[in-house]
Amino acid sequence: MRLLIGTHIANAYQSLTANRMRTVLTMLGVTIGVASVTAILALMDGAVNLVGSQINQLDGNIAVIRSGAHKAKDNFSLSQTQTQYSTTTLTEDDLLAIQDTKHLAAVAPLMNLRTSLRAYGETLDGTNHSVVATTPDLIKIGHIEIRDGQFIDSVSDANTAVVGPQLAIDLFGTEQAIGKTLRIRDQAFIVIGVLKRTNNPVNYNDVDFDRSVLVSLESGKAFTQNVAQIQQINLKADTKEHLPAVVASVKKTIKENHQGENDFSVLSGQEIAEPTSALFRGLSLTSAIVAGISLIVGGVGIMNIMLVNVAERTREIGIRKAVGASNNDIVWQFLIESLAISLGGGLAGFILGYIIALGASAILPFFPAFSWPIALTAFLISVIIGVTFGMYPAIRAAQKDPIESLRHAQ
Amino acid sequence: MVSNKNTPVIELRNLTKRYGLGASEHYALNGVDLKIKKGEFVAIMGPSGCGKTTLLNILGLLDRSNDGEYLLDGKNVERLSSHRHAIIRSKHIGIIFQNFNLVPRLNVIENVALPLTYKGVSHTKRLEKASEILKSFHLSEREYYMPWQLSGGQTQRVAIARALVNEPSLILADEPTGNLDSKASHIIMRELSDLHKRGNTIIMVTHNPDLTSYASRVITMLDGHIATDTAMRKPKKDSSIKRPLHTAKEEK
Repeated sequence: MRLLIGTHIANAYQSLTANRMRTVLTMLGVTIGVASVTAILALMDGAVNLVGSQINQLDGNIAVIRSGAHKAKDNFSLSQTQTQYSTTTLTEDDLLAIQDTKHLAAVAPLMNLRTSLRAYGETLDGTNHSVVATTPDLIKIGHIEIRDGQFIDSVSDANTAVVGPQLAIDLFGTEQAIGKTLRIRDQAFIVIGVLKRTNNPVNYNDVDFDRSVLVSLESGKAFTQNVAQIQQINLKADTKEHLPAVVASVKKTIKENHQGENDFSVLSGQEIAEPTSALFRGLSLTSAIVAGISLIVGGVGIMNIMLVNVAERTREIGIRKAVGASNNDIVWQFLIESLAISLGGGLAGFILGYIIALGASAILPFFPAFSWPIALTAFLISVIIGVTFGMYPAIRAAQKDPIESLRHAQ
Repeated sequence: MVSNKNTPVIELRNLTKRYGLGASEHYALNGVDLKIKKGEFVAIMGPSGCGKTTLLNILGLLDRSNDGEYLLDGKNVERLSSHRHAIIRSKHIGIIFQNFNLVPRLNVIENVALPLTYKGVSHTKRLEKASEILKSFHLSEREYYMPWQLSGGQTQRVAIARALVNEPSLILADEPTGNLDSKASHIIMRELSDLHKRGNTIIMVTHNPDLTSYASRVITMLDGHIATDTAMRKPKKDSSIKRPLHTAKEEK
């Protein structure tokens, strides 16, 4: 069967450029729809990659232990929020028990306290800042670096703290905070180090280190009646190859500690990022679907304009049939025209979507990611819209009676 | 569709076309029998509503009869699918209209090349062929004009060129000079007459008795019947006017 694709494309080009304004306005409908979907998906990928890439940067020999059983991968829910309010099952005992695991290079607990901070006249109420009690090993496995001074260590005074740069500014008005004193519940701490800015409020530690005070686990326990409430324990194996072995033996140790209950999870690799990623993905897909509704509006616009096109060119259809065009030829001619509109609009929307996403990233903590699946999605959406909404006008065109059409006024 | 000499290009047997239903039913064609041989130039005359345009539409496979048989080159085409009809139109039939029917968006050469598109000829070949045929109509310098930039006579010559470009075995003309002044009309008729002399089969519907002088055979229709069928002597002078009044003998 001859499809005459080239001819139809040339024809569509001619017809669409003849009514430039109309074509552009019709395309705009698709452009807006594809742009919003593209922007949302690009930002979603950016957010998902954010946590994932941190894991990758850590040479793949990191694992974390979290309270509660591990959620199934595809079962995204908002229960992450719930775990914030449940009491942790991880104890200091667990921490001590796994210290001696073979091939374990570093281990650090994270005990996150939200309480108020004071320094001189300034008070921070703890809504945007956190106090993290941990051990000196965190510097090796927390994806953080020291900018000034030193990290907390086992030999320094218990009442010392390391602060994040933003917290230093909020509290002291300067990042030069070393030697200054801050108060946590009237307990004075001397700042011995300032962290390098991470600009990473979303990370696998669930802590924004830029806005945190790090103190030793001992000091932290003092605020909770000497019981460590550990949300997460970070582990590091000496090599990537030993990580599975470390994870297995840690699992075994803690399970014994917990009388055989699986009320904790040891995550490694991309699993660490999963709860955060799943949350982002779920939210983004929901918004992408909502944005997709606007595509239907774009599609209706295409159908509308194609029906006008067919009506205007009734005579031409008659002529084409008289000189030998079959119904299929006519269907293809108009279908390719509507495809040209939707693909043109889709391409513009794809580009516009990335421009929007880049613009949005100025106020978001991550960059949009470029990925082929997004490009493919935009392309497929365009094709589906073009075919779905172009089919009816095209079939109507093909079914026109040639004699009636030839009689039709120009 | 190569046929031997004796097979008529067109053979109609009891062709019937009805419009309407019940009380409003009427026959546009009421049992038409007709044979047209290769190389004939047939003029179909008759008052408005006698069914001549309907006949031409059915001959051009743009319309279907309700009854009877239509053999084109000895092959029954009446009951073929509309897809097959399109292919036959594309390969064997060229149609010339009263109102020219050029596609207004396309320039002259693209209009002429249009039938070749549906024959599956490549773009370059199409334009070459169209250019060639326009040259034979002395329209070479008009190739890139748009239809609205042409005079009526030129437009119709372009339309004739388009009808000829796919080398049809049958040329159908529906009042080809109906929208033209007498001078342009005669130019068009000379073109058609020329085509006839080169061996083309032409069927022309007309109101104008003057034009029958170019034809080799004149058929008059009345109320869906063929009333008269007259073979004409040829060649004719432009001025001669002949009105066939007697009933024709049956074509063999």
